[in-house]
Amino acid sequence: MLEWAGTRRGRVLLYDPGLALAFILVAGLLVVFVVLPTLRVISYPALADYLAVPAQPRWIQAIRNSLAMMVLSTTTATAVGFLFAFATSRGLPGARLFATIAMLPLFAPPFMVAFSYILMFGRNGLITRELLGLNVNIFGWPGLWLVQTVAFFPYAALIISGVLEAINPSMEYAARDLGAREWDVYRTLVIPLARPGITAAALLVAISVLADFGNAVLIAGNFPLLATEAWFLIEGWADLKGAAIAVSLLLIPTVGLFLLERKWVRQRVYTVVTGRGTRVSRASVPAFLKWPVVLACSLVSLLVLIVYVGVFVGSFVTTWGYNWRLTLDHWLLAKDWLGPLLNSLKVGVASAVLTTVIAVTAAFLTACYRLYGSRFLDFTAVVPAALPGVFVGVGFLLTFSRPPLELVGTAWALILALTFWHMPMGYQAALAGLAQIERAIQEAAANLGASGLRTFVDIYLPLLRHAVIASFTTSFMRAVTNLSIAVFLVTPGNMVGTFAILMAINNGNWGTAAALTVALLVVSLAILAIGQTLLGRGLRPLPSG
Amino acid sequence: MPRVHVQLVHVVKKFGAVAAVDDVSLDVQEGSFTTLLGPSGCGKTTTLRLIAGFYEPDQGEIWIGGKRMNDVPPHKRPTAMVFQEYALFPHMTVFENVAYGLRMRRLPRKEIEERVGSILEFVGLPGLEGKFPHQLSGGQQQRVALARALVVEPEVLLLDEPLSNLDAKLRIRVRTEIREIQRRLKKTTIYVTHDQEEALSISDVIAVMDRGRIVQVGTPTEIYHRPANRFVADFVGLANFAQGTVVEAVDGRVTVDIGGSRLSITGEDASLRPGDQVVISVRPEAIRLSAHPSSAGENTLKGMITSTSFLGSVTRFWVRVGEMEWIVDVPGGDPEGAAGERYLFVPPENIRVVEKI
Repeated sequence: MLEWAGTRRGRVLLYDPGLALAFILVAGLLVVFVVLPTLRVISYPALADYLAVPAQPRWIQAIRNSLAMMVLSTTTATAVGFLFAFATSRGLPGARLFATIAMLPLFAPPFMVAFSYILMFGRNGLITRELLGLNVNIFGWPGLWLVQTVAFFPYAALIISGVLEAINPSMEYAARDLGAREWDVYRTLVIPLARPGITAAALLVAISVLADFGNAVLIAGNFPLLATEAWFLIEGWADLKGAAIAVSLLLIPTVGLFLLERKWVRQRVYTVVTGRGTRVSRASVPAFLKWPVVLACSLVSLLVLIVYVGVFVGSFVTTWGYNWRLTLDHWLLAKDWLGPLLNSLKVGVASAVLTTVIAVTAAFLTACYRLYGSRFLDFTAVVPAALPGVFVGVGFLLTFSRPPLELVGTAWALILALTFWHMPMGYQAALAGLAQIERAIQEAAANLGASGLRTFVDIYLPLLRHAVIASFTTSFMRAVTNLSIAVFLVTPGNMVGTFAILMAINNGNWGTAAALTVALLVVSLAILAIGQTLLGRGLRPLPSG
Repeated sequence: MPRVHVQLVHVVKKFGAVAAVDDVSLDVQEGSFTTLLGPSGCGKTTTLRLIAGFYEPDQGEIWIGGKRMNDVPPHKRPTAMVFQEYALFPHMTVFENVAYGLRMRRLPRKEIEERVGSILEFVGLPGLEGKFPHQLSGGQQQRVALARALVVEPEVLLLDEPLSNLDAKLRIRVRTEIREIQRRLKKTTIYVTHDQEEALSISDVIAVMDRGRIVQVGTPTEIYHRPANRFVADFVGLANFAQGTVVEAVDGRVTVDIGGSRLSITGEDASLRPGDQVVISVRPEAIRLSAHPSSAGENTLKGMITSTSFLGSVTRFWVRVGEMEWIVDVPGGDPEGAAGERYLFVPPENIRVVEKI
């Protein structure tokens, strides 16, 4: 019926209308919800508005602050991430504990670190004032630096540990065998081999730091940053043009870093090909390296645990800082925040389902067929990873507040914004899954008379369930904990949990905010647990060995 | 008399409760090519790594060149190893890879360049100094790994299944080259492999290992023709095994009853007594096959051909004698039309008693 890579591009679509429809639908959605809002934001201010930026001290300050925070937080977060990656990949004492600790912040709402540190280390902080009697002002750039380091080191740890684990232990033995001392092994081998991975991690952390809205809005105080400026301008002055300028300025470094990571660093990561040889165990780490690393990781672990303890305790304290009596009031008054929580679930499920369906379809189309526009599809499915949340939020606000597609004001604005913002994760998970399926399977199905869509439903979806579940779980967790997009798109009618928390914090209702944060955390961890059990169960029937 | 260069004395290495190397003692002569042969998990690679110093033995001693090596770190031992997956450094060029060991020894730049240049020439890789490992073929990577080990002029060269990542034809060529290089340098070499054919073709001495122990040490011909036990006979080459009872044992000539047929065996130890239950082994190519009984009638069995297989240089016959099926390899041979009754002649000097039950 069809031929695959060999056929002339696009011929397939003529023979297979179902496939053609799917292609047009996916491409159309990506144009409307990724390309259009992006162009709309960039073109909203006039060229003169952009040219006027250098003349305004407030803009210059915001740009300088954002870049300074990027350098500071990226450096420390990458360094801490490296220590954790080292400890876990070399099996140092406490390695498994450190691995778990380094996963925790990945599942938490992004502003949770800032919120908890205000509770613990702020002016009314449980640790700083109550226990140590200090008067500390955590608001401002030093507080933000600490918070971003703790919030983003897990991303670095995840990437770097992948690189460290890929270093073949035999190479280290070979170096020792050829006369290298312990320090020589690290100097000449481990660090040079890990360097591209460390660079990649740093670039990705830098994007997250630049785009970090949640922590900045809570803890930066009077410290202007590009990520928060857009919201302040809209909330305070209804200045859409100013907001568009702010997020466009933010887009320049994030897209630059993104391209740098993809085009340059990724190709320099040494893929250390190991033969089929027996995996030998790694040589043990010398004491002079081991104990300082364990100590540093233990201290950071303590800081991570405090995040959770702080919010948990906060949900049971009557009035933080004034009345420390424990109470269940914040939990019993759940009706105050149950509505937003349910809305969060609704938005989370809807956007995760949409992300997964569209991402898997797009991956199927780009990976399995050579079509006109395949590269465009690929690019638009991946590019949202370079867009800061606030940019997407402003983009939807500007694009979908008016006919023909008036979505702002309904829950759909937030759902669709999150759907397409999370597209790269689902798409890349699906691509990775597809890469493991042999082309011959597709050919066999076609040979037996299945159409393109039939092949997809009968053959690919069951084989891709791993990617599907992973995509759904991550999209859901990120959707219910999102604040950066939600602040622009929620309306009183469809209030979501994260925004309700922000409001509660700003109004001083810390107990309510803490209870709602814990509830949100429980929900996302529950979904994660379900996802992992499904994966475990789904994989069990496969023959082992 | 060549001196003992590497000596293992009652070495034990445990991983958890399992003894990967269990009371191994071995003398390696200076300038010899010694192979540790055995199935995966037999402890051969662990033994090699103990010699290199990557693991410390739990018990026993390791000596190299008259010096005790226990607690000497790998970078201070006079050994260099070629790894199974080569373990070339992917971020360094061929030159930098080969120069690594010399750099670690803080040699002057000029000497490093000279020695790297000459060793690359020696292994047949001149002109590739600037290439990265991933730009080389498997065979070239192999030689870089060898050059990297040889350039530091180790007293003892260690090779851990260095051919397992090469295709079959290349494997035979490279193993000949390795043997040639070893002969020219007269370098004491310890080689690890699970491939019995490779071990037989390349070694001066083979130590066969099974479950952490050395079960036999000998020249390739000794290992092949005089296997010490059933494991060695089975692992090295193909063998027919048969169980029987000793009926007579006089002056190194033993007669064994196997399912009613009697086979005479010469050259056996005198420790066997009539009534002993034994397992004998016979190589398939040692048996002669004929359509007519031989004149002497001794050690002749009558059987039926059940199956044949043409293997190119030999033809393999499966012949049923009573309860047992014998495998017989006939050089050349023609499976066409081979069926029916045949007589097997088993020369007495080619039968080994490999097990006493």
